[in-house]
Amino acid sequence: MFWDWWQSLFADMSSTNFLNFSFLPKYGYAVIQGVEYTLILSVISVLMAVLPALLLATMRLSKNKAVRCISGAYIAAFRSTPILVQLMIIYYGVFSIITVPKFMIFGFIDSTRFIPGVTALALNSSAYVAEIFRAGILAVDSGQMEAARSLGLSHSQSMRLVILPQAVKNVLPALANEVITMVKESSVCMVLGMAEIMFTAQTIGGRTMISVGPYMLSEFIYFVVTYPTSKVIERIERRMRRGDKH
Amino acid sequence: MGTNTDYIIAVDNLVKEYNGGKVTALDHCSLNVKKGQVIAIIGPSGSGKSTMLRSLNLLEEPTSGKIYFNGIDLTSKGVDINKHRQKMGMVFQHFNLFPHKTVLENITMAPVTLKRQTEAESRETAMKLLERVGLLDKANEYPNMLSGGQKQRIAIVRALAMGPEVMLFDEPTSALDPEMVGEVLDVMKELAAEGMTMIVVTHEMGFAREVADEIVFMSEGRIIERGIPKQIFDNPSNERTKNFIDKVL
Repeated sequence: MFWDWWQSLFADMSSTNFLNFSFLPKYGYAVIQGVEYTLILSVISVLMAVLPALLLATMRLSKNKAVRCISGAYIAAFRSTPILVQLMIIYYGVFSIITVPKFMIFGFIDSTRFIPGVTALALNSSAYVAEIFRAGILAVDSGQMEAARSLGLSHSQSMRLVILPQAVKNVLPALANEVITMVKESSVCMVLGMAEIMFTAQTIGGRTMISVGPYMLSEFIYFVVTYPTSKVIERIERRMRRGDKH
Repeated sequence: MGTNTDYIIAVDNLVKEYNGGKVTALDHCSLNVKKGQVIAIIGPSGSGKSTMLRSLNLLEEPTSGKIYFNGIDLTSKGVDINKHRQKMGMVFQHFNLFPHKTVLENITMAPVTLKRQTEAESRETAMKLLERVGLLDKANEYPNMLSGGQKQRIAIVRALAMGPEVMLFDEPTSALDPEMVGEVLDVMKELAAEGMTMIVVTHEMGFAREVADEIVFMSEGRIIERGIPKQIFDNPSNERTKNFIDKVL
């Protein structure tokens, strides 16, 4: 009944109308799955980026020039080229050598596309997260390292017990922002046929011949996910900074 | 000189340069410290006092010169500096307590991590030391709940918990409100009375005069004069020492 009323809203609307959402009764479920796909994809990508990023950040702060350069080159390469290009190279290059077994994740995510996609996004994200970690580590007062070293702790013990626990606090808001960025950036995965928000919109457009509507809905969904989240993070950040003053 | 084991610390012609030799922070400084001695290093700011002190446990890496600790040259290759630092306690101007750890954890972290004591032993040591400085009730507080004077007393305890042979103090009262200076100096006096070897960079002339066995006066990266407090304060032989003493007393 509700959907009858909903359809009647769009009865006289042209297929190029920005607000033509008449596809929703039939494709609403696909849209919801697309949103789930995007969220799973971006959260897992950033989580997978954390460990390599930690390694890259420590390398970046190393005393050894060669080690520093390797990490610097990686970060520069991934930050200075389009993520779409990286995705293509990793999918058609790296994953033509490695074969991913086919299975379904959560019942609707195809592993043969998802795993290469996550790998590409995680490799890209690790370059950005590494810079976040580096800034977080450098933000810890240098006296902390000196105090730990003066007690006889080694550099790595001091890092693990004194510096990193304090850096984590500095880093959490920036890491959450990276997830938001990834929600948007992961839309490039549509080119691999990964059924996230954008691919779903494109598919709906093709089937219904409604050209703009599905993309307007995607726009709306991205905004509703990212904008309020970034506002919440801003607030938490402000509160944390207040807590720092003592 | 040098490997002479009469001295717990012997500094031989220490030079520290920055920016590839453009700035000289330490200019051929030599200094011997006997076991149990209390040495106060005084001098105008920028004279190299702190650099000198921080070189002793290699927080600053010297450009040239040697530092002997119990007869071992710390600047030579293959020396495990972490081992020696365990026996050289250091107290900083800004306390540098670990804000994410409680007072007790601040004290026990190094002895336990470095396997000098078991968890239980180190807790016992920590409690005894805390009682001595009158802060037993703060064991489970976080540093941000403490006053500056309390923080610095905890920092001293943290260094003492490693059972050091030497204590290095880098302007330990300079960041304190005036009413808190006394409580920190009292702890240091007690330590000195117990026979701890101490090297103290300080602006507290009263403390230097009363507690130190010897005063070292530094200016422009050089050790200008060295002597017992009475001589340095009442009858300095160098013009620069005299000027400085006149200004600060």
